[in-house]
Amino acid sequence: MNRKKRSFNFILGTVLLALTLIPALIGLVWTPYDPESMDVANKLAHVSIRHIYGCDNFGRDVFSRIMSGSGITLLIAIGTVACGSIIGTIIGAFTGYFGGMVDTAIMRINDVALAFPSILLALVIISLMGSGKYQVMFALGIAFIPSYARIVRGEYKRIKNLDYVKSAKLAGAGDLRIMFVHILPNTKAVLLSSVMIGFNNAILAEAGLSFLGIGVQPPDASLGRMLSEAQAYLFTNPGYAMFPGITIVMIILGFSLLSKEIG
Amino acid sequence: MEKLLHVEDLNIEFHDHLIPETVVYDFDLDMEPGEIVGLVGESGSGKSMSALAIAGLLSRHDMKKRGTITFNGRDILNCPRNQLRDLQGDEICIIFQEPLTSLDPVKKIGWQVEEALRIHTKLTPAERKAKALKALEDVELNDVERVYDSYPHELSGGMRQRVMIAAATIGNPMLLIADEPTTALDVTVQGQIVKLLKKINKEKNTAILFISHDLSLVSRLCDRVMVMKSGYVVESGSIKDIFENPKEEYTKKLIASIPSYDPEAGKEAEDDVILDVKDVCVSFDKKINGKNTNVKVLKNVSLKINKGEVIGLVGESGCGKSTLAKAIVGLQPIDSGSIEQHEKYPQMVFQDPYGSLNPSKKIGFILEEPLKNLTDVTEEERHKKAKEMICLVGLSEEYLERYPAELSGGQRQRVCIAQALMLGPKLLIADEPVSALDVTIQAEVLKLMQKLHEELGLSILFISHDLRVVGKMCDRVLVMKDGVIVEQGIKSDIYDDPKHEYTVSLLESAGLLKKN
Repeated sequence: MNRKKRSFNFILGTVLLALTLIPALIGLVWTPYDPESMDVANKLAHVSIRHIYGCDNFGRDVFSRIMSGSGITLLIAIGTVACGSIIGTIIGAFTGYFGGMVDTAIMRINDVALAFPSILLALVIISLMGSGKYQVMFALGIAFIPSYARIVRGEYKRIKNLDYVKSAKLAGAGDLRIMFVHILPNTKAVLLSSVMIGFNNAILAEAGLSFLGIGVQPPDASLGRMLSEAQAYLFTNPGYAMFPGITIVMIILGFSLLSKEIG
Repeated sequence: MEKLLHVEDLNIEFHDHLIPETVVYDFDLDMEPGEIVGLVGESGSGKSMSALAIAGLLSRHDMKKRGTITFNGRDILNCPRNQLRDLQGDEICIIFQEPLTSLDPVKKIGWQVEEALRIHTKLTPAERKAKALKALEDVELNDVERVYDSYPHELSGGMRQRVMIAAATIGNPMLLIADEPTTALDVTVQGQIVKLLKKINKEKNTAILFISHDLSLVSRLCDRVMVMKSGYVVESGSIKDIFENPKEEYTKKLIASIPSYDPEAGKEAEDDVILDVKDVCVSFDKKINGKNTNVKVLKNVSLKINKGEVIGLVGESGCGKSTLAKAIVGLQPIDSGSIEQHEKYPQMVFQDPYGSLNPSKKIGFILEEPLKNLTDVTEEERHKKAKEMICLVGLSEEYLERYPAELSGGQRQRVCIAQALMLGPKLLIADEPVSALDVTIQAEVLKLMQKLHEELGLSILFISHDLRVVGKMCDRVLVMKDGVIVEQGIKSDIYDDPKHEYTVSLLESAGLLKKN
C-alpha cells in the first residue's frame, strides 16, 4: 500500500512539472506571440481560442508571457539554489570536518544570518546592488547559504567519525580528498532533498520580490511580476492573475511531491 | 503435567511487498512450567518473530499469522487486545536485547520496575516500593535504594539488564521470554546474567524461552534447544542429544562453528620484532558531572609482536583495547611512550563491517584507494592487484564492480581484510573483526585469517572480547583491564593456569576455566 501511494506522488509530481516545465523550455525559443509586443485592441481580453489565457492590460498574450516568465523564474531559482548550495556545502564541509574554533565562529555568524528572514536579507542586498534578475539571483543565493551550510555541516560532523572515514585516512587520503571524494557522495540524500525544497523556496522568494516590485524589472516577465501587475485588474480580468498563480502552485507542488519521493 | 504453552503450525507472513514473504514456517513448541528452552539461529532466522508472536506483541497490520498459540489455556492469536494486556507483564514477560534502549530514559528505575504491579495489582504505593526493592535485590543489585531513585543513564549496561529482569519478573510471570538478553553485554556480565536467569528459574519456577545465536551459552542454560534456519525449525531436542548427536547438516555446521580453544597452536615465534609498543599512555578529556576530567585510557602499555605471530588482546568494552589499536595505526595521538614498527602505513580491520565501507563507492575503488594515495603504481597494476586481493580473500572479480550494500556482513569483512592487505603489510591489526557476524560466518572469516597468516606469514594483532575465538586463533594472549595489561603469555599458560584473578573471571564466564 505504501509503495502504491509513493508511486502516485511520483506520477502526479512528474505530470505537474511536465505541464509547467515543457512550456517554459519551449518558451526559450518560441512563443505563440511576442511576450513583449503590445496590442491595444486586445487589452485585457478574456480567455479565447486566439489567446488561450487571455491578454494583460497592454494587450500582451498572457500564455506567452507565462512561457517566458516561468523560464526566467526557473533560471533565477536554479541560480539561487546553485549559488546557495555550492557555497553552503563548501562552508559546511570545512566547518563540520575540521570543527574547533573556526567552526564555532562561522556557525555563530551563520546563526545570525539564519535569524534574518531570507527575504529580508535579500531585500537589503538588492537595495545595495539595484534590482534585476541577476541581482535577485545573487541576493537570494547569499540569503540561502546559511541553511545549506548548517545541514551539510551536520552531515559532515556525523560521517567524519564513521569507520570508513578512518579507513580512508589509513589508506592515505588527504583531508580534501576525504571531504569531497569520500564524504560528499554520502551527503547526497540529505543534500538532494534540501535542494528540492530550496528550489521551491527560491521560486516563492523570487515571486515575492518581484511582487514587491524589486525583483525582475519590466519589460521582462516573471511569474511574481505578472501577479503583481494583475492585482489592479483582478475584477476586470481574473484570468490574468489566476494563470500565473496556478503555474506557481503547480511548479511548487510538483517539486514537493518529487522531493518526497527522492528524500 | 498441564502444558504451559502450546504452539502449533505457527506461520508468520509479511505483506508489505507485492509477494508475501513468510518469515516463520510451521513453528511447533510445547513448554511445561519451569522449563528452560533455547531457541538458536542466525539473525533473520525468525526466532525473534516467533517469540514476539508468543508474547502477543506482533500486531502489525501488514502481517498475517496462522496456526495456534495456546498459553495457559488461552488462545493468544485470537485474543482481543484488552485481554492480551491482562496477560502481558503479568503472566508473560519479555526481556529485550538492547538494555540501552529498552528502558525509558525519562522515567526513574523504580517507576519502571513497578509498572507491572501498578497495572495488574491493587497494591498501595508503599507495598509496591517494598516489592520493587525486593525484586532489585533478587537480581543481585547493590544499593537498591539508590538504584530505585536513579535514571537509566546512571546505570551500566549490565545493571540495566538486571533492572529489566527485575521489572520482568516482579509479578512472578509463568513464562519469561529472553530475546538475546546477553548479546550486548560483556563476557563477564554475560556469565552473571545467565546465572541469574538460572536462579530465577529455580526459585520461582518460571519457564524461560531463551533466544540466542550463541550455542555455547544456550548449552549452559537450557534443558532443551530448538535450532532455526530461515524460518524453519530444523532440529529440536535435549541439549545432550543435539550436541552429541546432531542430525541435521545445519546443526552440525553450527556446532562446528563454535570456536573452541585449541591448546596445540600456542608457540613461541622467532625473535624478530615487527611491532614494539613501549610505555604508551593515552588520556581523554571527558565531562563527568559537568567537570572536565582527564581520563587515562591506556596506562604504560607495552607489547611486542614478532614476525609471523598471532597475538590475542582480550578485555571488556571500555578497557582501552580499541584505543590501543588506533594508537598503533596512528588514528589516536599518544601522550607518552613510543610505538616502533616496520610498516610505514599500518592498516586495520574494523569491528562493524556495515560502517567501515563507504556506501557510495564501488568495492574496486575502495580496494585501490591505498595504492592510489600512497604509491606510484600505474592504474593497470592497481586493477591487477585489486583483482588478486579479492580472489585471495575468497570473493570473485565481479565483486569489484559492486557496492557495499550488495554484500553480506561476511563478504564485507572479507573486503575490509583485502583492503588492509593491499599494500602488502607484514602486520594486520584486527579490532573485533568477527564480533558483528553470525557464528557460521564468523568461523569462515576466522578460517580466512588463519589461511592468510599461514600463506603470507602475516602477523596479526587480534583484538576480541571472546576468549573462545582468541583461544582458537592466537599464539600469545594479552589480557587488558582498565588500560593496563594485567597478564600476558603463551596461550596454553594463560588458559590452563591463569595467574590474575581477572583472567580467571574471564575464563569462568566463557566456561573455559579448568577446575582443579
